[in-house]
Amino acid sequence: MTSDTPIIQVRDLSFSYNGQPALVNVSIDVPDKEFLAIIGPNGGGKSTLVKLILGLLEPDSGKILVRGRSPKKMAHCFGYVPQDVNINIHFPISVIDVILMGRLRHRGRGRINAEDRQKAMETVQLMGIAGFENRRIKDLSAGQRERVFIARALATDPDILILDEPTAGVDTSGKTELYHLLGKLNETKTIIVVSHDLMIVSSYVKSVACVNQTVHYHPGNEITEAMLDMGYHCPVELVAHGQPHRILKTHGDF
Amino acid sequence: MQNALLAAVLASLICGIIGSFVVVNRLVFLAGGIAHAAYGGIGLAFFFGIPYIYGTIGVSLVAALIMTTVAITAKNRADTFIGVLWAVGMAMGVILLDLTPGYHTDLMSYLFGSILAVPSTDLWWMFGLGVVTVALTVFFYRDILAISYDAEFAKLRGVPVNLLYFVFIALVAVSIVFIIRVVGLILVIALLTIPPYIAEQYARSLMAMMFFSVILSLVFNITGLWVSYQWDLTSGATIIMVAATGFFISLGISRIIALIRKNASDDPGVFRG
Repeated sequence: MTSDTPIIQVRDLSFSYNGQPALVNVSIDVPDKEFLAIIGPNGGGKSTLVKLILGLLEPDSGKILVRGRSPKKMAHCFGYVPQDVNINIHFPISVIDVILMGRLRHRGRGRINAEDRQKAMETVQLMGIAGFENRRIKDLSAGQRERVFIARALATDPDILILDEPTAGVDTSGKTELYHLLGKLNETKTIIVVSHDLMIVSSYVKSVACVNQTVHYHPGNEITEAMLDMGYHCPVELVAHGQPHRILKTHGDF
Repeated sequence: MQNALLAAVLASLICGIIGSFVVVNRLVFLAGGIAHAAYGGIGLAFFFGIPYIYGTIGVSLVAALIMTTVAITAKNRADTFIGVLWAVGMAMGVILLDLTPGYHTDLMSYLFGSILAVPSTDLWWMFGLGVVTVALTVFFYRDILAISYDAEFAKLRGVPVNLLYFVFIALVAVSIVFIIRVVGLILVIALLTIPPYIAEQYARSLMAMMFFSVILSLVFNITGLWVSYQWDLTSGATIIMVAATGFFISLGISRIIALIRKNASDDPGVFRG
């Protein structure tokens, strides 16, 4: 497959929860090695769109193709960091066992072997949580847990990395560090980041999708006037920076 | 007495493993529902004159299947549904026994069991069940861990989440039936929940939790049997009282540990994370 073919194609997609439309007639193409930021208000359907792409939800109508096939068949391509990393916080599970979940059924294998453990330890190093492997998940801070979940997603060796609000429990320096890492990973992987925090639309991001029932796709990482005008109730901090519509340009553009 | 000890060991093994699965998946109410609905199976068996064990296993498996289907498809309605099946099963059992002429089982022995009068055939059944439980748990350990901790991620990794969920809940149902025969309905719920609850606080993995639960369950059972023998008390109820004592002692200990940690640490805690 050439690099010109989109890695993810979404066509006329609609989805509703108990009759309440969440997404209406959505079409987007995500090119290979894209770094896409999905933004929009809470309840606008960002997480729903991601779960549809992952094949965790079934669309009411329309279709999604990942490398030309249905998402369920391509589930092994995805590394997924869910929105809530604090689920089941009191569950008796160690950090390394959470990360090893990412190695489950790797290339169809059922069991965890030495290679899987080595791969898991590599992601532990990469995420800077070495020394925490044998701690219980409840004994970590929220920021550390976030890193564990990213490590788990990376342990799957994904082509497409999808992170749902990964910066929720992370401080500013942690965010910068995380995006630096994602920028590096983007050299080999397609990355999709969901956020309601427009600060994340950093220089690493290559395109932006605004989601509020419908989706508007913007190649390039600027937040344009048109996007603000669509009534996305953009967060105050964007405007408060004093350079509305411009602050998110790449550094070289200034 | 020898049979009682063997029954205690086998029940501890099964309850420790199955109970840990039930507790971490928050299936205690579902397990209670299955145990009560199984009483309908007793009524059914006596009414139609079929062996008792087929009636209870059949009804508990059907109840488990319905409850699990509802739990998967309509999560927010699951508790109501389980509550209804819970009551319907019991009522059906009572009415069918009313309609059956002659012999009536004693409800008390269903509630509290009679560990001192366990026949050898039941021990063989429990032995087989124990072997199946251990084998399935060891073989599917990583899958079960993933399903219990984060089912969505497990699904993404290609783990057959719903199928395994059904298989393990069926195992819960069959375990409950056999253990009720030995120790009664009340004790089965106590043994399924109390040891895993205590173990969960100290275990670093699900496997360790299962192991601690088996040991704790064994301690409660043997102590309870010994106390009931010494003072001539009802064995099932005595075992429950011993387990409950263990439960409250563990609550006290974890309170004390929390207090000591709070005093010892200068970390304000609020700023963590």
